[in-house]
Amino acid sequence: MKLTINGEKKELNCNKVSDLLNALNLEKNIVAVELNKNIVHRENFEKTKLKDNDKLEIVKAVGGG
Amino acid sequence: MVKIDDLLRIGDFKFTSRLFIGTGKYANFEIMKMAHEASGAEVVTVAIRRVDLNDKGKESMLSYIDTNKITILPNTAGCFTAEEAIRTARLAKAAGLPNWIKLEVIGDQKTLMPDNEETLKATKVLVKEGFTVLAYTNDDIVYAKKFEEAGAASVMPLGAPIGSGQGILNPNNIKIILENAKVPIIVDAGVGTASDATIAMELGADGVLLNTGVALAKDPVRMARAMKLAVESGRDAFLAGRIPKKLYASASSPIEGVMR
Repeated sequence: MKLTINGEKKELNCNKVSDLLNALNLEKNIVAVELNKNIVHRENFEKTKLKDNDKLEIVKAVGGG
Repeated sequence: MVKIDDLLRIGDFKFTSRLFIGTGKYANFEIMKMAHEASGAEVVTVAIRRVDLNDKGKESMLSYIDTNKITILPNTAGCFTAEEAIRTARLAKAAGLPNWIKLEVIGDQKTLMPDNEETLKATKVLVKEGFTVLAYTNDDIVYAKKFEEAGAASVMPLGAPIGSGQGILNPNNIKIILENAKVPIIVDAGVGTASDATIAMELGADGVLLNTGVALAKDPVRMARAMKLAVESGRDAFLAGRIPKKLYASASSPIEGVMR
């Protein structure tokens, strides 16, 4: 499946947001996910399905002032 | 001491320390953690950014923040429109961070001066959504009032441009904001050294937020401690009430009884 994640094109076989986070080795409890500009809340990671050409943003807290 | 209970209240948040400190620009997370401890800060700011998909081994900064003692305050740094700032605030909340936001919308790349119009738009939306909004702004009484009216829980006027370390450039403007404020005023940005923080607090600011002044000091941990003491000193001096300035001397020792 073709996905754009944080602006990068990736070819990954992940059917759900939770699978994607696992594949990317990201901790679910510290990231936030946007799927096609809509926030996917943590409790919905398991049930939110992905499809070809979905655009995702995955963010987290970093150093700042 | 007249007032023992001197808590800082912002929305539903309550703090003993009046120093907010950043997490940016430290040489490493270990030094950051030690600086946070030395500062006594109960609030630290973070930015929200894309995860680096190519750097999986990278450890999380959050594991260096003791959330039993420290409340994380996400910011919207890097946003140039209300829309971007709103999106960032929502993402911060979705990332599990507390439901408050240091709202910062920048209008000029070189000076990082805030775009108050956009910040105000974002304030109105986020307040409606239940966010506790702390609005970063110029040292301008007119906008300070507008943010207050829009429901901001705190207004954060700058002392000087972000990261400039120039100190409190216009203490009179800060004083005017303070005299008219109904919400806590946190002086944010420009604090380069301890005396800058003290000046802000002596003016009557409710708190000080800084990052670069500590993170880029030669010894960040020592500077963090200096900032802690500076904020506490300034607060005490403000509460104690300074004497008026006089042009001429006034003897501290009695005039009477001098041996002749």
